[in-house]
Amino acid sequence: MKNKIFNQAIIITGLLAFALLSLSAVAEMPRFGDPNNPPNLHVVDRYLEKGEEEAGCKNVVTDIILNYRGYDTMGEVTVIFTALCAALAILKRENFYTSFSLLDTSPNKTSIVVRTIIALMFPLIFLFGLYVILHGEDTPGGGFQGGTVIAASLILFILVFGFRYTLNKLSPKFREFFESMAPLSFFLVGSLSLIIGLEFLSYMLPIFSEGYRLEVARLLLSFIEIGIGVGGAAIFTSLFFSMQREEK
Amino acid sequence: MILRLDIVLLVFLILIALVVVKTKDLLAAALVFSGYSLVMCIVWQQLGAPDIAMTEAAIGAGVTTVLFIIAISKTFRREE
Repeated sequence: MKNKIFNQAIIITGLLAFALLSLSAVAEMPRFGDPNNPPNLHVVDRYLEKGEEEAGCKNVVTDIILNYRGYDTMGEVTVIFTALCAALAILKRENFYTSFSLLDTSPNKTSIVVRTIIALMFPLIFLFGLYVILHGEDTPGGGFQGGTVIAASLILFILVFGFRYTLNKLSPKFREFFESMAPLSFFLVGSLSLIIGLEFLSYMLPIFSEGYRLEVARLLLSFIEIGIGVGGAAIFTSLFFSMQREEK
Repeated sequence: MILRLDIVLLVFLILIALVVVKTKDLLAAALVFSGYSLVMCIVWQQLGAPDIAMTEAAIGAGVTTVLFIIAISKTFRREE
């Protein structure tokens, strides 16, 4: 008993010391939104003034994510893909003949109200996801955001209309193709500039004339956006399918 | 006015986080955590990051909650 209190005292003092150190570190940091902060002094002006003519998109966030910081985003996309690989290695992919879900065997059927509302809403949510992906160059959003919206709509569909019904429509073979699209589209577009002799992931290709170069860069960026979006949606849906799976 | 809204949201976030940690019923904790994501989504919007807000709403409040609920349905509902 005495030992326990002693241990707790040690833990609490350690946590307090850690909190004090963290708070003093936060107090040293520059103020939020201060125009004299180091990031605001050097790069932000360049992004805001030259972003559109250098990177090709009106939305500066997309410019930074896909162009100025392209390597980081490629790493992130690869991380999501690797996460799916690791999850599938443990959980195994579902099979139409041997897998079933507790969703289908549950005695409580989904009510007609929910079914009707989802049947009406699902196409709209899906369409909104596609809009976010395709319009990512001009408005907030892009591949990741639209992909997650599409994945959420598909998961909603599975929850309401059942596991086997959806598995029939979206077979593992069909999804396999889209899952690899996210990292693949990035690598393909990145290697395009390598062939011509530029650095990896540069979108301004000099083989096109001055007037078309920006348009081509925009096109390549939207290609990557579509790849990330559709790939991300497929990855999340597959994760959900393999977690739901039960074996007969 | 906006600053006041921010303070209310941040205090709310801390309260929700405490509730999530303290709840013994894991299903309730997962649902409250989805509320945490929703408030966090508004905070991102307040900080001027609509991209992140959109992701937080779809992933945090939608997909993660569903995955948590599946995991709970395959294990035990109550924490010891």
